[in-house]
Amino acid sequence: MDTRPNSEATPSPPAESPDGVDLTLIRWTLSLTPLERLELLQDWVDGLAELRNGRLPER
Amino acid sequence: MDGSRSVKFRGLLQALLRHEVDFLVVGGVAAQLEGAPIVTFDLDILYDNTPANLDRLLGVLRELKARYRDPAGRHIEPDSTKLQTLRTHLLLTELGALDLLSQIGAGRTYQDLVGRTILYELGEDHVRVLELAAVIESKEHANRDKDRAVLPVLRQTLILKTGITQDEGS
Repeated sequence: MDTRPNSEATPSPPAESPDGVDLTLIRWTLSLTPLERLELLQDWVDGLAELRNGRLPER
Repeated sequence: MDGSRSVKFRGLLQALLRHEVDFLVVGGVAAQLEGAPIVTFDLDILYDNTPANLDRLLGVLRELKARYRDPAGRHIEPDSTKLQTLRTHLLLTELGALDLLSQIGAGRTYQDLVGRTILYELGEDHVRVLELAAVIESKEHANRDKDRAVLPVLRQTLILKTGITQDEGS
């Protein structure tokens, strides 16, 4: 019987690619539906526009 | 439109769908819909260059009060001659920046690429989106600084989505 802790038995997937890309963020966006991905993009763009205009994004 | 206001992606897509324009979502929004976490500030579409589709597209552009993003500040509106003859149209509309393309990459048209799309459901709407591998090819061909900057994220997304690299898949 394998008595090792689960984390040793199934190592976590890498958080970063060899060229430095954040794979955790990609896994997260891939877990979303297409509509959620579009809404996420809209939130990012709206937030950046607000910051560019010198205002804090509305929460 | 106030130039500081951000683009409304869904509103632009819904306007195009309402007018029954034949188009494919390409560029950064296509990449994001395919799961790549990148930010873009405009909607890029590849439109079908048939006369009937150009009429429908012009209807949307009039509704959205589209004009070219002209560095000299001139007010230049798109028309059917420009849509037929020019390859790229960088427009500003009431719903933000909209880039219309009649070709992408190595001269590929709507008809060339419609077979490499995925029909995505966005709530009540259905839009045709260029598959990630083809987005990568178009950005590799364009090879501008802004394209090269996002290619590592796009390639890693493709690997995580499919489990294969672009080279293996081609």
